[in-house]
Amino acid sequence: MNNEHEEISLEELENPNRRNFIKRTAIGGGAALAVGFGAYGAGKASVEGRVDENWPILADDFKPMDQKNTIWSYALSPHLMMKYPERNEQFGRLHKDNPKYNFQVQVTTFESKGWDNNKPGFTQLDNALQHASWLPPYMPELRVGAAGQPQTQFFSWDQSGVEKEQYQFTSKKQASDAIRSAARLFGAVRCGIAKHDSRWDYHPIFDSGITGEVMGAMSSMPKPDLSQPGAIEGFHSQLKVMMPQMVQQMGVESKDLTWEDDFPFKPKSVIVMAVPMDYDNMATAPSKCSTATVGDGYTKMATLASSIAKFIQGLGYQAVASGNDLGNSVAYGIAAGLGEGGRNNQLLVPGYGPRVRLCKVYTDFDFVEHDQPHNWGITDFCKSCKKCGEACPSDAIDMSDDTHFYFEGEHKDEPGYAWSNHQGVKKFHTDAKKCFDYWLESDTDCAACAAACTFNEPDFWHHWFIMAINPISPRFLHAAMAELHPAFGYGSTNNPEKVKKFWKTGEGMRVNMQNKSVFGSSNIT
Amino acid sequence: MQLILWFCLGILFTLMVQGFAYLSLKVTLKWWVWGASFIAAVTILFGLAWASASFEEGVAQSGALALIFFCGSGVLLLIWLWRVFVKPQLNTD
Repeated sequence: MNNEHEEISLEELENPNRRNFIKRTAIGGGAALAVGFGAYGAGKASVEGRVDENWPILADDFKPMDQKNTIWSYALSPHLMMKYPERNEQFGRLHKDNPKYNFQVQVTTFESKGWDNNKPGFTQLDNALQHASWLPPYMPELRVGAAGQPQTQFFSWDQSGVEKEQYQFTSKKQASDAIRSAARLFGAVRCGIAKHDSRWDYHPIFDSGITGEVMGAMSSMPKPDLSQPGAIEGFHSQLKVMMPQMVQQMGVESKDLTWEDDFPFKPKSVIVMAVPMDYDNMATAPSKCSTATVGDGYTKMATLASSIAKFIQGLGYQAVASGNDLGNSVAYGIAAGLGEGGRNNQLLVPGYGPRVRLCKVYTDFDFVEHDQPHNWGITDFCKSCKKCGEACPSDAIDMSDDTHFYFEGEHKDEPGYAWSNHQGVKKFHTDAKKCFDYWLESDTDCAACAAACTFNEPDFWHHWFIMAINPISPRFLHAAMAELHPAFGYGSTNNPEKVKKFWKTGEGMRVNMQNKSVFGSSNIT
Repeated sequence: MQLILWFCLGILFTLMVQGFAYLSLKVTLKWWVWGASFIAAVTILFGLAWASASFEEGVAQSGALALIFFCGSGVLLLIWLWRVFVKPQLNTD
């Protein structure tokens, strides 16, 4: 029996068909795997991006931006209201059909207009989430910091915590890795280190004098029932008269601050970090529901940046945490190699698109590997894709076919209209005033442009695949991809179904087999 | 969950390669027919991977379209190649 079995086995081994089958399987499978690994390597290199030595392209008259000219500073400051009344008047006359329109009084009633339980995304449920997302005990501080006010509680300039002994890293790479590791631990999904570049700093820095305390006092003023018709207008008229008196009584003083005389040290590096916003929550934009991930982002920005500043100070170096204050976060994000500038004027990060919030840490520590700007073909893609602009409820987004140096939108010929834009940089230029006005009107942070962006995707392989082939895709394909994005069910706005979907994302969280998180999906890649 | 998807796709890929190796013993085809067959099979796998990821992320529309366009076109191409080039040879055998 045994001999017979051995003979059969030998015969089988010598069977040419079987040998050919195994040989061809090995050769075919090996070749296919080699092609697969090659494609994976090429894709990985593609999503790493190419160093962009051409960024930035600046006009001859480019100069750093005066922080007083940002819409945030202007809308926050009663002093600027009194100093530049024409800015309110001009916008009111051109857009609101009301020359008495006033940004500053609107801000005091922002996100306090109540809820409507018949309107998906604006119910009491959504309203409660919206207000819970800003770290509640520090909400006024975070709000003021979000408007770019310097030296707030989380973004303090205090350097008393700097250790006397300086930690010595053995290499620049070790130092960079340590900083990035700490950033990752504290909640960053991207971290780059840019050389300090005064072109992207505010010059001068503007201190509106509005503190968390003042903001809290203004927000807690007794208000009429703002959901009643005409109540808001009446309250605003009353505030317009009261505001200068209140400012005087509370001793609010505004001033310009300089980097040379006021900032505590000369920065050498800027650590730029991105915190994620939730995909499914953002998909409900524009609503009170989607405003929650924005508020949560601001909370995380504050804790992340202040923790990293504390970490650097603990190593014996000076550091100041920064949110929207001190400088242009998008420009620093590009300089740190985190992403490219998009049509909606936000930083578009591979894998997230605009669904991140940026914070930074200014430090005098420079024994690090500084990052460089990179190119993924994102801005080029934006030239063909106008989905953010089509979704924008206030027509604030630049719909030009190419990037350019100056604001070219509606009323571009009106003298001084573009005061809130950083002119002289080759990019798209949005109308920040129109954008912010819609926030005030809708009582939300809008975010429709971010939700509609073709680069705003959950963390799944097929979106990375599209990201990888983007740089080598011809322009006509970009246009097709932009159209296919909504056709495949992504990027809709004002969609009640997305609100329903968000409020079910907690299902299965006891075990959470997909590891759902703020990525809005599985983060196992 | 995506790791389970990749594991399953690995098994399907192995079966696909073995299927082609087996077929190569049974029929003789022109190089471009082999190429087209391989592309069709990979397109089906691509569609399955896309659809699985889309259903997992909760975007059923994307999953359905992936099945229709990617898997559908792969299946149609494979059926056509089978009927025109493979089946006649198998019948003569």
